[in-house]
Amino acid sequence: MSASILEVKQLTINFGGLIAVNNLDMQVGYGEAVGLIGPNGAGKTSAFNLISGVYKPTHGQVIFNGEDITGLPPHVINRKGIGRTFQIVKPFGSMTVLENVMVGGFAHTSNRNKSKAIAMEVIERVGLQRKVNALAKSLTLADRKRLEVAKALATDPKLLLLDEVLAGLNPTEVEEAVDMIKDINKSGISILMIEHVLQATMAICNHIVVLDYGKKIAEGTPQEVTNNPEVIKAYLGDEYEAVIN
Amino acid sequence: MDIVQKKKIGLIVIILAIALSIPLFVTKPYYIHVITMCLLWAYLASSWNLFCGFAGQLSLGHGIFTAVGAYVTIMLFNDFNISPWIGMFAGGAAAVLLSTLIGYPTFKLRGAYYALATVAIGSGVMVLIENTMTLGPFHVGGAEGLIVRLMGNAPAYLQFMSKVPYYYLALAMLVIVVVFSYWLKNSRLGFYLSALKEDEDAAAALGINVRNAKLVAAAYSAFFTAIGGVFYAMLIRYLEPMAIAGPMMSNEMVFLAVVGGSGTVFGPVVGGITLHAISEVIQFYFSDMAQGLHLFIYGLIVVFVIMFKPQGIIDILQKYYNRFLGISDRGEDESSVS
Repeated sequence: MSASILEVKQLTINFGGLIAVNNLDMQVGYGEAVGLIGPNGAGKTSAFNLISGVYKPTHGQVIFNGEDITGLPPHVINRKGIGRTFQIVKPFGSMTVLENVMVGGFAHTSNRNKSKAIAMEVIERVGLQRKVNALAKSLTLADRKRLEVAKALATDPKLLLLDEVLAGLNPTEVEEAVDMIKDINKSGISILMIEHVLQATMAICNHIVVLDYGKKIAEGTPQEVTNNPEVIKAYLGDEYEAVIN
Repeated sequence: MDIVQKKKIGLIVIILAIALSIPLFVTKPYYIHVITMCLLWAYLASSWNLFCGFAGQLSLGHGIFTAVGAYVTIMLFNDFNISPWIGMFAGGAAAVLLSTLIGYPTFKLRGAYYALATVAIGSGVMVLIENTMTLGPFHVGGAEGLIVRLMGNAPAYLQFMSKVPYYYLALAMLVIVVVFSYWLKNSRLGFYLSALKEDEDAAAALGINVRNAKLVAAAYSAFFTAIGGVFYAMLIRYLEPMAIAGPMMSNEMVFLAVVGGSGTVFGPVVGGITLHAISEVIQFYFSDMAQGLHLFIYGLIVVFVIMFKPQGIIDILQKYYNRFLGISDRGEDESSVS
C-alpha cells in the first residue's frame, strides 16, 4: 500500500484542442486535508471529474488506497470510498433532507431503518437536524451545501472531494462550514477541496496545490504558496510580475 | 397502535369491503364489465408507473408488453394447451427480456432517447404482429387477430362464463400491484429511482448504478404490464394487434398515470378508475351526438387536470386524506400515500 490515500499521476484530459488538465501529479496523504486552488477555468473541477470517474482521462493514472481506479464509472468509485460534492449543488429537490441523505445511506445497507439511522447521524454532524423533514428545494444555499456534504458523508467515504462548498456563503456561514469540514477531517476522513475562499482554505488545509491552465504551478504549505510569484501572477495578472521581481 | 394507524387501517378495510361487495349489488354483466375495465386500467397505469413514474422515464410503448404477454400466453394455450395460469409467467418473462433488450442500449443515453426508442419499437412490434400469420408451430393470426380458444366455464384455464370472477381477479391484481408499488417506493431501489429521477450525476456520485437500477425497475414494470395484457386477452377473448399493441394502449397508460399522479403509489389507481369511468360515461351519453365528441370531451378533461393540477388528482385527495388522519400537510406520515 502506498503512503497516500490518493495519488494522481500525469493526469491529462483533452476536450478537443483544449487541454483542461495537463500532466497533473499530486497526492493526498492519509488523514490529510489538501486544497486545490487556481483561477477560474484552471481545470480544478475537471480534475475532480477525472478522479471521481465522470470523465475518463486521456492519459495518466488515479491511484486510490493503493488501487488503480483510472476510468472506472462514478458509482464504482464511490463504492470504493470516494465521496464528492458538486460545485453547482444537486439536491434531490422534491425529496426531504432525510430522504436525500438516506439515498447515500443505502450505499452500505439495503435496510430502510439502518439507512435512516446512518442518515440521522450524518444530518446531525453537518448541523441540519432542524431541517430533517424540509424539502431539499426549500433550503437556503448554505443548507444546500451542507446537504451536499451530508449526502456524500452518508456513503461512508475515506476521501471526500469538496467542490467549492464555501462559495456564495456569508462570513458567518463560512466560519460554520470551516468548523464542519475540520470536524469531518478530524474524524479520519481525508479531504481534497477546491476553493476560492483562500483564508478558509488555509484554515483547513495544511497542503495546497495551485493549478493554472490545467498545469500545476505551485504546491506546498499555505505560506509557501501565497508567497510564490507564479501564483501571484496567475491570480493578479502579468503586469504584477515586475513588481514582485 | 396510535389513532393515525387505526384510521389508516379502518380506511383500507372500508375500501376493500366496498370493492368486495360491488358484485352483490351490481348485477348487470355490462356494468360489472365496465367496472372490471376500470380496475384493469388502474392496474395497467400502476404497472407503467412502477418504472416510468418512479424513475421519471417516459415510455410511450408499454403496449408492446401487454401484447407480448398476451400473445405468448394465448399462443401457448391455443397451440399447446398450456393453461394461461402458467403461460402468463412465460408471457411475463418474454416481456422482461424485451424490456431489458430495449433498456440496455437506451438507458445509457440521456434525454429523449428512451422515449423515442419505445415509440419506434412500439410501432415496430405492432406492424410485426400484423404481418405474421404463423411463427414456427404457433398461429399468430396477423392483422386478423387471434381468437382465444373457448373452453366454456374452465377456471383452470382462466375462463369463466360469469363476469364476476374476472372482477375479483382484476381487483386482486390491482391490490397486488399497489402493495408492490408501496414496497418498491419504500425500498432501497425506490429511493434510488427517486434520486436518479432528479439528477443522474448526483445519483451516480452516491454509488448508484443508474443503468442497473433502471433495468430492474423496467423489468418489474414490463412483467406487471404483461400480466395485465393476459387478463385483457382472457376477458375480451380476442387479440387485435391494434388494440393490444397499438398507440391507444400505450398512450392510455401514460394518460391515466399522469392525470392521477405519476410517481406516487395511489395516483395511477385514482387516475385509472376515475378517468376510465368518466370516459365510459361520456361515451355512453355523447357518442351518439357527434362522431368523436366523447373523445374530445375526454381530451379536454385531461388537459384541464394537467393545467390546474400538474401533480395529478392524487394531490387533491392527499389534502383530504391528511385532514382525515389529522396530520399537517407536510406531516410525518406523508410518505405513506405519495
